[in-house]
Amino acid sequence: MSAVDTTLTPAVVRPVPAVYADSARVRLARGFQHGGWFVAPFLALFALFVLLPIGRGLWLSFTDANISGVGERFVGLDNYREALDDPLMWDSLGHSAYFTFLVVPCIVLLAFVLAVLAHHIERAKWLWRLCFFAPFLLPSTVAANLWQWLFNPGTGMINHVFGLETPWLTQKSTAMIAIVITTLWWTVGFSFLLFLAALQNIPRHLYEAAALDGANAWHRMVHITLPMLRNITGLVVTLQILASLQVFDQAVVMQDFGPGPEESTRTFVQFTLEEGFTAYRVGYASAISIIFFLIIAVVALGRMWLLRKREEGAR
Amino acid sequence: MPPPLPSRRTVLGGLGTLAVAGSFGLAAANRSASAIASDADVRVRYWNLFSGGDGVNMIAMLNAFRRADPRVDVKDSTLQWGNPYYTKLAMAASGNRAPDLAVMHLGRIPGFAPGRLLDPWDVGLLGKCGVREADFNPVLWKRAVVDGKLYGLPLDIHAQLCFYRRDVCGKAGLLGDGGNLAAVSSPEEWFKALKTAKKAVKGNLQVLGMKASEPNFSWWFFLSFYTQLGGTCLSADGQDVTFDTDKATRVLEFLRQHVTDGYTAPVGIADGEMFLNGSAFTWEGNWSVPVFNDAKLDYGATELPPVFGRPATHAESHCFVLPHQAARGGAANEGAHRLAAYIVRNALAWSQGGHIPAYAPTLEDKDYLALKPQAEYVSAMDHMAVEPSAWFAGSTGLLAQRIGPAVASSNVGSARPDATARRMKDVLEKLLTMKNPMAGEAIVEEGAAT
Repeated sequence: MSAVDTTLTPAVVRPVPAVYADSARVRLARGFQHGGWFVAPFLALFALFVLLPIGRGLWLSFTDANISGVGERFVGLDNYREALDDPLMWDSLGHSAYFTFLVVPCIVLLAFVLAVLAHHIERAKWLWRLCFFAPFLLPSTVAANLWQWLFNPGTGMINHVFGLETPWLTQKSTAMIAIVITTLWWTVGFSFLLFLAALQNIPRHLYEAAALDGANAWHRMVHITLPMLRNITGLVVTLQILASLQVFDQAVVMQDFGPGPEESTRTFVQFTLEEGFTAYRVGYASAISIIFFLIIAVVALGRMWLLRKREEGAR
Repeated sequence: MPPPLPSRRTVLGGLGTLAVAGSFGLAAANRSASAIASDADVRVRYWNLFSGGDGVNMIAMLNAFRRADPRVDVKDSTLQWGNPYYTKLAMAASGNRAPDLAVMHLGRIPGFAPGRLLDPWDVGLLGKCGVREADFNPVLWKRAVVDGKLYGLPLDIHAQLCFYRRDVCGKAGLLGDGGNLAAVSSPEEWFKALKTAKKAVKGNLQVLGMKASEPNFSWWFFLSFYTQLGGTCLSADGQDVTFDTDKATRVLEFLRQHVTDGYTAPVGIADGEMFLNGSAFTWEGNWSVPVFNDAKLDYGATELPPVFGRPATHAESHCFVLPHQAARGGAANEGAHRLAAYIVRNALAWSQGGHIPAYAPTLEDKDYLALKPQAEYVSAMDHMAVEPSAWFAGSTGLLAQRIGPAVASSNVGSARPDATARRMKDVLEKLLTMKNPMAGEAIVEEGAAT
């Protein structure tokens, strides 16, 4: 990626005539004359539905606003102080992190294996792709309800097939695992598709050359496929971490909007929702979502930084 | 050559046709539902949270009202029970999009900003519709009044009950005169009864269903026995925590013993089904009456056993409220009063769902007295164990959300009873320090005074 940037840079940055150099208005107009009007509709909606709410949320986090929108007072950092001192917030953050820790390696590994399988199966290729990807098209509520039935201790298919009597969703030790399994089935298709596309982009001649040199299937996998998939793996891992930290809908539906057995599946987003919309403390809920935003930003930036360091090390 | 697989187009096309056909079917069903009562003078939009048997009864009552008062067109919407319902109601009221009439739990009124999210009832207008204060259980009426104004019109009392199977308990010799469950008055007597019942319960069915791992029920059962011991949560003025950890520990140990002695499964058992299959007892809300009646079970239902002396069993009430509308008044408001008054007065159908009618004259109706097992537990209305009156209390409110899981962890053995009792007290103390988010201007005045 960085190699591409350096080649493009000279073309984009044209020397600016000295007369215009200081005038911000002119520079803006110049930047706007072509692309500007094309992106304006998007920018307007973006400002209305993203920037404005973010700004309003930030302001609310310094107030004691409630859901009725009356009697809002500035309280400074009180909400943040309360949040950092709130064991419920740390617990729910822990649950989201635990979920991420369980789900990300499973998804990456499974998506990779499925992609390799689908890539190599010759008959009815479309059927395999459809099968692996189809669950991703379901709304979260449908997927969650479906698995709620599968995990039903008395009548569910899972206990029936494996001859178990496990109360999957009502005991602490298995509740989160059941949600992880559901998520795996539901979302693996997306990563699967990314891997599959990357696999199809690997030039065939590399494999042919390796085969001529006597490399067996295992060698081709380790020395061609895996290295060629490194970038896409990085992307999948990052996307999955970000998505998993924000886990909410499937967990909440599978636990019937409750916090799970002994509050073990209350995720961070659910906690925010509860504070804002069932305790009606919109100000406090805004503060914890800002904290959550910062945490996610740190994770994302940290990952980018690590990646860049590794690339520099590899060079 | 093997036969060709169906092509992608064929499969997707087939699925698409099915989906389109299905949605037409749904649309047709919807249209027929809203076609009723179109030549009315006024439309009353009414939100409720009743599904299952309650939902069927409510719709029957609404249809009766439509026939009795055709000038009012009732547009009813049933929403998902619990917190999602309250969130929608609060947001609709604050956004001035509120329905004309709604149902709510009585205990939620103090936290629902009476005066801001709720409008008061016009008691004079209710009187004209035939509903007067004297017709109600005074405790209920008092709970619905805030600052001298009536905000809730009580519809029912719904209590936690001890359901028992006459066949099983009879075999164990636990039935007294008239075939009802013999009274117990101490934990020892209760466990002795369970021990006897165990011999009459077949196979490996549990003896008692008590939803040990379910936070809401755990909290309701706790509150029942804690009230039997005379325990309270908050002082009368609502300013101090009066939670007694010693009494709470006793109750938690009592509940836990059902699990450790093997009378109930700690997790993952469908208690209702077990009861249908042959458990001797199950503790459940009275809304399970229709389920057990439909199964043609020979059973009875009493208040939760008064093992700590004074009888008390958790109860809540559904009531009608007027969600805040900036321009409340006029024909729709009058229609809402007429509708609510009609349903409260004609609540016999409602009591088939197991609820105890709040409108006292119904209780003397011979048709009501003939209902079984409703007549057996009507005394529960005199022994209500209710949540404290506070903004965070009430059915599935913040208090239940925070304190219920603690009771459940003690029940299943993840936390010790004494530690749990302290945790529960902490929860109450924390909630009391949190200011009522809906208090608004009132809080500003208090802040200035201190």
